[in-house]
Amino acid sequence: MMNSVKKIVLALVVLAAATGMVFGQAKKVTIVVMPKLVGIPYFNASEVGAKKAGVDLGINVIYTGPTTADAAEQVRMLEDLISKGVDAICVAPNDPAALSPVLKKAKAAGIKVLDWDTPADKSLVDLSIHQIDDKVYGQHNWDLLVKEMGDTGDYAVITGGLSAANLNGWIDAGLAYAKVKYPKLHLVTDKVPSDEKQQVAYQKALDLIKAYPNLKGIIGVSTPSPLGAAQAVQEKGLKAKIAVVGTALPTDSRPYLEDGSLRVATLWDPGKLGYLTVVLANDLLKGKKPVDGQDVANVGKIGVWADGKTVIMGPPSDFTKDNAKNFAF
Amino acid sequence: MKNNATVKFVQRFRNKEAVLFLIFIGVFAFMSILSPQTFLTMRNLQSMAYQLPEFGIFAIAMMVVIVTGGINLSITFTSALASIVGGLVLATMTTAGISPTLTILAGLGVFILIALACGMVNGFVVATIGITPMLATLGTSTLFEGVCLNITKGGAISGFPDAFLWFGNTAILGIPFPMILFIVVVVVAYYLMERSSFGLKAYMIGCNPTVTAYSGVSVKKVLYGVYLFSAVLCALAGILMSSRYNSAKESYGSSYLLQSVAAAVLGGTDINGGYGKVVGTVLAVMIIQVISSGLNIFGVNRFVINVIMGGILIMVLALNLINTGKKANA
Repeated sequence: MMNSVKKIVLALVVLAAATGMVFGQAKKVTIVVMPKLVGIPYFNASEVGAKKAGVDLGINVIYTGPTTADAAEQVRMLEDLISKGVDAICVAPNDPAALSPVLKKAKAAGIKVLDWDTPADKSLVDLSIHQIDDKVYGQHNWDLLVKEMGDTGDYAVITGGLSAANLNGWIDAGLAYAKVKYPKLHLVTDKVPSDEKQQVAYQKALDLIKAYPNLKGIIGVSTPSPLGAAQAVQEKGLKAKIAVVGTALPTDSRPYLEDGSLRVATLWDPGKLGYLTVVLANDLLKGKKPVDGQDVANVGKIGVWADGKTVIMGPPSDFTKDNAKNFAF
Repeated sequence: MKNNATVKFVQRFRNKEAVLFLIFIGVFAFMSILSPQTFLTMRNLQSMAYQLPEFGIFAIAMMVVIVTGGINLSITFTSALASIVGGLVLATMTTAGISPTLTILAGLGVFILIALACGMVNGFVVATIGITPMLATLGTSTLFEGVCLNITKGGAISGFPDAFLWFGNTAILGIPFPMILFIVVVVVAYYLMERSSFGLKAYMIGCNPTVTAYSGVSVKKVLYGVYLFSAVLCALAGILMSSRYNSAKESYGSSYLLQSVAAAVLGGTDINGGYGKVVGTVLAVMIIQVISSGLNIFGVNRFVINVIMGGILIMVLALNLINTGKKANA
């Protein structure tokens, strides 16, 4: 018995020493990029960008996240990664409050903490990377609408959900802008929620078309909304009369863009966002902070707010029937 | 030599739990050898000890119901509803400036009370009305989810007193508080299910409810008891989660529902009722935790982890079937 115990101990010691030698070699910087969930086109596109940045910079990029948008699952995965010992964590929180305790743990372990795509608790992050300036993006949506329907007439807004902070930010900015810049635009009713579902947006759009016969335009905010509205307009044969614009992914919106029921879709490129996140995290580890107007390779000029923490990737990208096929998200 | 010892060990216990224990040791050793620097570290062991209890408590909440031949598909939403209402009480009393001690006591009371109410609903639907547990708890689960969403409108409840975070984030003598709570739950569950007449009745119902009723046991009362016990465990898991995540939301822990069925079944619990041991469930939870954390640390894709978990579950079920088949033949 003693003999076998000794053998096992000896084997373990040898093994530990061997692995120690393997792991003991110069350690590459490891950056974790965690999306809200994996396996959807948007976050698949950002994975490609993040991984590419890892190759370009010669660092390890771990792109991993839960398979459903569950904050609890994100917390557990982050805890495991903190145990593993990484250099920086960039996370798109499913729920900012839920992630605060684990982000505190990460900071206590000396790990740099960044958020991307969706803000976390601002006091806990070293950098907060936003895809877009909410105000600029809201205004941009209204500009697109006016370009398609003219600056006079009735229009409606379909949003993802009434409590979604980012969507509300865009809509409020757009409405305030329209009041000053396009006074002849007339919003027929308060923003209409679609529960982030294309089917619901379609129903609501049909209701709007019926209730307001003079409707000339619909802005869909949140990615399924413009698609549902376009579907309704297409079905009613009103694509010449009602202009639909809004925030949508190019692959989803391509069929509607091609037949003209959706005039133009606008969003940012999630691939670039993933790329930028990794680049800035790597800079931060080297002690370099981003500056306003900095030109990041493969991304473009970025904006940095006065707080030195909030980074804006840049202006939105518009998708039309001509360019939608060039994008993979 | 080692093989002989293993054989003797299995022969001595000759049960599913011993096999599970060996699997656990094997998996743990495998992960440790693959990456001693990251897996076999104090920090990782501690972080697993923080993660395991909430899952483990859910698994036991599931197991005690499966033992009676039922299933409780409402565990995660029972926990969520308790957390949301309890969380509201915590947040409101904190803003009102009431002392933290009083706030936390009241909050914890509400967690338990709401869960008990959910347990009563389950008990009523299953035992009094007599609807098949799977359908009954699927219904109550949707009901609880609806109530949650009506309260939160899809958002999260936060703003708990700082002292409340203690439950999920503090270690006593190096042992995380959630782990201590889990050990208490395991001991209580063991005595209640395997050492008390109540537990015996629960197993009897799982084997044959009709015979049990004719033996003079009030099946209804026992079923109510089991669903209430399961609900209280959900409340405890809810307390740990709200504290660890500093907020309450209907979707927290939703991924635990099927995992806890998996853990109970992997732990040897007969899905048709009548057999199931607390220790088996605990071992299964430990195995799943080690695999999940280990593969996470190696950076294995989450979808692949699901595939591996599913594969292990099917393998163990098949092994169990082969074993019982052999016994029946012998």
